[in-house]
Amino acid sequence: MENTFFDHLDKFGNSLGYENFAIAFTLSMIPWESPTDRDDFIREITNEDVKGGEPSTFNPEYSGF
Amino acid sequence: MVSGGYRPDASQNNPMSVSGNGGNGQSGKFVAEKVAKATQLRMSGLPQGENTAMAEQIQQGGGVKTTASAANPAPRMPRGEGLAGLLGALEPLDSEPAQFRPISDGADIGEGRGSEVLPKSLNPDMRQIENIELIKRYRNDLVNAARMPGAPDSYKRMVNALLREIL
Repeated sequence: MENTFFDHLDKFGNSLGYENFAIAFTLSMIPWESPTDRDDFIREITNEDVKGGEPSTFNPEYSGF
Repeated sequence: MVSGGYRPDASQNNPMSVSGNGGNGQSGKFVAEKVAKATQLRMSGLPQGENTAMAEQIQQGGGVKTTASAANPAPRMPRGEGLAGLLGALEPLDSEPAQFRPISDGADIGEGRGSEVLPKSLNPDMRQIENIELIKRYRNDLVNAARMPGAPDSYKRMVNALLREIL
């Protein structure tokens, strides 16, 4: 799932806040060259570390879906 | 002498008094006199001589001086501020003086009034509406992506929170 639209949406949505979902959605449509580029951009605009993406592998114990 | 009626020998009916190229005859003289009289008239409020100066300025194509300038432009209605926006800034006469209100007045947290007292233009309603529209449109795709193997828990939590917004 890394470097896909939903990966971007996860990082932007969690970093910018759910209330900014529409902005996160738009930024996720950008074809980022790499996850590093995207994460640098998020750090630049939020002045914080990137949120989301944890754990990076599927967690079968989480019964959210 | 007969007065009134049509008199063929009257001066205005005499073709000899009208110049062939116009302007030198009786009619031309009449127009010239009217123009001369009109230029002597002064507009009310303007001192003598200023009317002539303004007439010259208009003939030269120059703009007439106005009271508004770049430093002092004419007042204009602010854009995007309707009557509701202006009314939002008004306060009732019996309201509490602003200096006695807490610093969190106008915010949804802390003491004081909530965000309902703020003008409509400051409320993030459009952002909320946009969020809900997007969630409704892509709800199935968002849920399906959350079921994909390798989907992070943070993404699932976000989708759950977004779905609660529209329920």
